[in-house]
Formats: sequence, C-alpha cells, structure tokens
Amino acid sequence: MTRLRLILPLLALAALVAGVPIQPAVAQEPYPSRPISLVVPFPPGGVADLTARPVAAAVEKALKQPVGVVNKTGAAGAVGMQFVATSKPDGYTLLLALSSISIIPEADKLFGRPPAFTVDQFAPVALISADPTILAVRTESAWKTAKEFIEDAKKRPNQISYSSSGIYGTLHMAMELLSHGAGIKLRHVPYAGAGPALTALLGGHVDALASGPSVVLPQIKAGKLRALAGWGDKRVASLPDIPTFKELGYPEAEFYIWAGLFAPKGTPEPVLAKLREAARAGVADPEFKAAMDRLQTPIAFKQGEEFRKFFEADARRLADGVRKVGRVEQK
Amino acid sequence: MAETLQNLALGFSVALQPSVLLYAFVGCVIGTLVGVLPGVGPLAGISLLLPATFGLTATNAIVMLAGIYYGAMYGGSTTSILMRIPGEAASVMTCIDGYAMARKGRAGAALAIAAIGSFVAGTVSVIALMLLAPPLASFALRFGPPEYFALLLLGLLVLAYMSGGSMAKSLVMAVLGLLLGMVGIDQMSGYFRFAYGLVELGDGLGVVPIAVGLFGIAEVLATAGQEVPPTVLKPKLRELLPSRAEWRDSVMPIGRGTGLGFLIGIIPGSAHIISSFVSYAVERRLSRHPEEFGKGAVAGVAGPESANNSATSGAFVPMLALGVPSGPIPAVMLAALMVHGVSPGPLLITQQPELFWGFIASMYVGNLMLLALNLPMVGIFVNVLRIPYSLLYPSIIMFCVVGVYAVNGSVVDVWIALIMGALGYILRKLGFETAPIVLGAVLAPMIELALRQSLAMSDGRYSIFVSRPISGTLLAFGAALVLFNLVSWVVRGLDWRRRIPLDEKGENL
Repeated sequence: MTRLRLILPLLALAALVAGVPIQPAVAQEPYPSRPISLVVPFPPGGVADLTARPVAAAVEKALKQPVGVVNKTGAAGAVGMQFVATSKPDGYTLLLALSSISIIPEADKLFGRPPAFTVDQFAPVALISADPTILAVRTESAWKTAKEFIEDAKKRPNQISYSSSGIYGTLHMAMELLSHGAGIKLRHVPYAGAGPALTALLGGHVDALASGPSVVLPQIKAGKLRALAGWGDKRVASLPDIPTFKELGYPEAEFYIWAGLFAPKGTPEPVLAKLREAARAGVADPEFKAAMDRLQTPIAFKQGEEFRKFFEADARRLADGVRKVGRVEQK
Repeated sequence: MAETLQNLALGFSVALQPSVLLYAFVGCVIGTLVGVLPGVGPLAGISLLLPATFGLTATNAIVMLAGIYYGAMYGGSTTSILMRIPGEAASVMTCIDGYAMARKGRAGAALAIAAIGSFVAGTVSVIALMLLAPPLASFALRFGPPEYFALLLLGLLVLAYMSGGSMAKSLVMAVLGLLLGMVGIDQMSGYFRFAYGLVELGDGLGVVPIAVGLFGIAEVLATAGQEVPPTVLKPKLRELLPSRAEWRDSVMPIGRGTGLGFLIGIIPGSAHIISSFVSYAVERRLSRHPEEFGKGAVAGVAGPESANNSATSGAFVPMLALGVPSGPIPAVMLAALMVHGVSPGPLLITQQPELFWGFIASMYVGNLMLLALNLPMVGIFVNVLRIPYSLLYPSIIMFCVVGVYAVNGSVVDVWIALIMGALGYILRKLGFETAPIVLGAVLAPMIELALRQSLAMSDGRYSIFVSRPISGTLLAFGAALVLFNLVSWVVRGLDWRRRIPLDEKGENL
C-alpha cells in the first residue's frame, strides 16, 4: 500500500514535467515573449531532427527568443503531430514535419481508424527543404537506364523487388507513384526505416530503392550503386546526368522528401506573419546554409500561399497514392 | 600488417590529443551513468546528447558518442547485480545470476568479473574491428531477411535453455513474451494490433518498460511481500575480489562471450541484447554444473556481460566500413557524422583515415578508462547494499519510473512498466521465471518481420529459407540441435533438468 502512495506523486511529477512548455499566455503581451518549442515527431538523428536544429537556431536569432527542439516520437510521427495539432494555437508550439504528415491521416482513413489528426488541423508556415527521391540500383545490375528498368518491369510484373522505409512510408509512396505512372508492378519489401532499406539493397536482397539523394550519394560515389532517375521536376544538382521521370514521360512520378514548418490551426495571423518572416530570415542565415550544406539537403524555401499550394498539391498526390495502394490483403 | 600498425600509430596520435581524450572520458562517464540508471539505455543517452555534440569536431563527437555506447555496457551490469534491475536491456541476463551472487555475498566478485569481462571483450573486439572490418562488413550484408529469420529461430530454441525451472513453464513465459511483442503497427500491412485507440501503442510495448517492470518493480514488490525482511548485507573489503575458482570459471565464458558477441553484433538488428541472451544459453549448455545457473553461477555473469560489450564493436563494422547502420544506435552515430559534413559510406576509411583510426584508437583508450573507472567503483557500489530497504526500495521505484519516462517522455511507458511490475510479481509468486518474457518480446517483432519480408522477397515460397546457403546452414544446425536433444533424451530417459528441483523458492520469492 505504501508503495502505491509513493507511485502516485511520482506519476504526478512525471506529468508535470511533460506539461512544462505549455503555460497560459497573457493576452496582451507581444509575440514572442517567451521560449518557443519546435516539436519534431521523429527521434534525434533523423532527417527531420537534423533539419530542425539549424532551423531552430536560425529562427531563434530572428525572433530573439529561445527555440527549443522537442523530440516527441512514436507511431511513425503520429504521436508528435497529434500533440501539435491539439496544442494551443498561440505560436509557442510549432511542428517540423516531413511529407508523411499528409500520408498518416490518409492511411488512418483507409483502415477505418479514427484519425490521430487531419492535415487541416495545421497552418502551414514555411517549406524549408525539398529533396526529390532518386531511383537507385546496384552497379552490377543489368539496368543501365530508367528506361531499361521500366521495360524489364513491364516484361516481368511483380518480379523486380524494392525495399522501403516502411509500408505507406515516403520511400514506398515514391515507388508506388512511379508504378502507377509507368503501369508497372514491382514487389514491395518494407523495412523498418531508410537505413535498413539501403542495407537490403546493398546486400542484394532487393533489386531497387527510392531514396533521398544524400543517403545514396556516398554509395554512388564509391561505385556500389547506380542512380537511374529522379522524382523531381528538376534534376538533382549533385547528379546532373541523371534524368527526371518527368523528362522520361512519367509526370505522375513526382515526389519530394520535404521538411516544413507548421503551427496549429487557429494561430492568429499576426503571429503567423511573424513566424514566416523569421523563417525567411532564418533560411538566409549563412550558418543555416552551411549546416544544410553539410547535410547535403538543398534549401527550398516557400511560404504563405506558395507553400500552401505546394502542400495541398503534394497532399492530394499522396492521398491518391495511398488509396491506389489500398489495404494490403490479409491472407 | 605494417600498414595497420602505421595506421594505428596515426590513430593514437589523434586519440591521445588532450581534447579527444577528454571527450572519450566524458563519453565513458556518461555511458556508465546511462548504464547504471534503470530504463535509460545507450540509445536514449546517445539521442539526448546528440545535439550537444553538434558544436564539437566530427572526431570528438563520434568518440564521445561511442564512449556512451560501450560505457553503458559496463554500467548496465551494476544495478542488475546489486538490485536485480537491468540498467539497460542487454543486462537482463545478468540480473539472474549476478543478483543471486550478490545475495550470497559475492556482489563485489560479480561486479569485478563483469567489468573485467567487459574490458577483455571490448579490447579484443576492437582488434577484430580494426583488422577485419571491410571483409566482415560484406559478409554482414549477406544477412538478409531469410538468414535473419533462421538466426532468430535458433534464438527461440535457445529459450528452452534459459530457465532453471521446468521447461514447460519457461516456454509458457516465452510465448507470453512473443504475444506482448505483437502489440503495435503491423510493419507489413500498416494495421494496428492491440492498440485500443492509443496512438502511443503504435510502436508496441518497449523492451525497456517491460524489462524494468518485470525485474525492477517486481523485485521490490516481491521483497516487500516477504514475511521476514531480507538482511541488509555488509560486504567486507576482502570479499570484493573474485576468488580463484571464480576466475577459473570465468575465463572461458569471457572468451566465448567475446567471440559470440562480436559475430552477432555485426549482423544488423538489436544485436547487443540478443548476444547476451545467446551467450547465457551457451554457457549454461556447456557448463559442467548447469544446475548452478540461476543460483549464482559466475559464468552466467561473465558470458553475457562480455558478449554485450563485444557486440557494440561488432555493430561498428557495417557502420564504419559501409556507412550503413546495423541498428538504431549506429544510425544515430551516422547522423552525427553527417551533421559534421562527413558522409558515411564505403569510402570513409580511405577518405577520413584520421577519423577512422582515431576512433579505433580511442576505443582502446576508452576501454582502459572504463576499467579504471569501474573497478574502484565496485567498492563504492556494493555499499548500496548497506542502505536499509525502507530507503533503498522507494528510491528504486523512483529511479525505475523516472528512467522509463525519460526514454520517450511517455507516460504510457510508465504505465506499461507498472503493469509489468504487477504481472512480474504475480508470476514470481506462481513460480515462473520472467527472463523468457523479455526475450520473447524482443524477438517477436524481429522474427515476424524477417519471416514476412522473406516471403515477400520470394513471393510466398518457403523454399527461400533452405535454398540460400547461410539460412539453410543455420536451419540445418537448429534441426540437428533439436534432433540431438531428442536422441539423448530418449537414450538417457532423463534430461539433466529433471535432476534440478523444480521450485526455486530460496532467493527468488
């Protein structure tokens, strides 16, 4: 019994610690007048986290208030995204999300689950980076070009396999958009993350992989992998000889791994304007540019209407992709 | 060879720079702390400290993070031995015999053997890493889903040897563990299983809350329920050192643990946890006194503690030689390299020799530091046992709750640990061992994913498991093991397990 009495206050303490960043704001005070938390729904060391840290540092400079990165992980990002979606819309809790923000609610819908959150619970602030995926195969494989790959896939439906970061994950969606655009059927082998997916391709357990350029570039330079084509509307700067699927006549195969800044919906317009301005100043910061350069992630800044359009078009494409993939049959 | 020595000299010239030494030391100290604290393991420790390394140079950052990783393996044994709480998941096996040794007044010896075993394993495995990284890395890549599945199946067979009591009881516990491992998103189809609308359960039940609950919290509850309170131990200084017999019984387990740990560490997956389970089972199988296991066999501490340390070096093989992560911890370390503009990949060793060889050399230095740090600490740590239980046990509960919360900042995890604590208490009252639950929960998601990935690769044909050389060999080995046991069982009529009294009341209840 005494033990129970001990546990309860400790739990209360734990809950208290969890609730620290949210304090009631005084209505009149100018924004921002206290520290801001930038929620990253993925663990430290992932793309989102590595992008968020220089973003936080740069925005901090512009807003003159501390911006702390909070990793709130779980369920492929759904936990952190849900947390921000239901946070107070006062501009003190922000979200750095990846493309998957549009996929998760759609997958929830597919399975008839009450969605953890919906995309219209967020107010888009700014797009920070956008990197098209690259189709990579092993150097010793027979396909020298994307054309050969697609023709072979047409001849042998469901024979060529590819790895992904997980079902309905970004790398899966990229490949599915290509499959539907080119009218081919590939065999999907999901892995638990982009790292294991790359390992599987290198080890010869699958035949192809759609991946962010920065991950496969060292392997391409070392002669282990070959890039066939990219999903962007422009060629990747570090791979100028690799065509885009758009050039090859598959405009449906357009996909980016992007990172964007969001606030909860209902955040007052003056606060959003300040945030946009801070983000614009932030991405122009030389230190930020250097940090993104080291990560080999190109900055792709969009804000306001421009970002909204990009986000909505992307969300439509991905929602469509998820629906086309549909539910995996339970055998 | 001359070239290796030359490179190593270059490495030491980097590793012995004052700043690199300092960060290696800081990493080792933090690692030891992270290992000692229940719940917080190396992954949480490295993740939390990753941002702090952004301001350092690439070498300093990687040296410090690596120090946390292998330092945690040293620290993890401390609370396992003294309080039966796994400091991190790879120390679960140490709880069994390490704690039994402590109850017999051999806590100092157990701690010392764990530290020395870790040191030997750490040092030998770095030599292996240094000499064999590139060829071993390409071998590791050949471990795809079918091979992994075969290996994990062998791991399941190992379960049968894990417990001292009845085999039926330990298999029941293993199945319960496998069931607990089913909670969460189905990786192959995206369905949620047993999540009951809780988004937090999407990732399943973590190994950390399960282990902390079943061992730490259940232990506190069980002790509180005893009619006669346990006597407070007063360890004497001359009892701190292992006896001659204990040394003799530890030498081979340390050697085997080192070899096993390194080989398992290379294979992508949560290797350091599995390596300690496998090592324990192997030691038990090879021991001339298997009945001692569970009652304070020093081999049950020496083997697993060496294996988990050796596995950390093994995990660096694919990371450094190929730039691919072999698990979540190397993945975070790869990210640390990327932040510093070092692109990890097959060319890392040739393009960044200072970084690679400095890293290798720092691991030699770091292991020495940890030995120097941990051996004298044995004398201090055993004094924990002098604390009256009315003060010690509430603090244990507090550390368990805080540790579990700190990993993901999730209150759901705390509840899982508390529920597991209650479950562990009931199971122990009924005479079940809880270690197989933890192994089951660790293995279930991996074995399922590997099986279904293999079938996705082969379009549903099971022949993939026997037609591939490595998985075929592993499966044949497993089949032989089962057959061998069946034959000896039939021939002898009785298994050695029968000779062991089924009830292990003594210190377990």
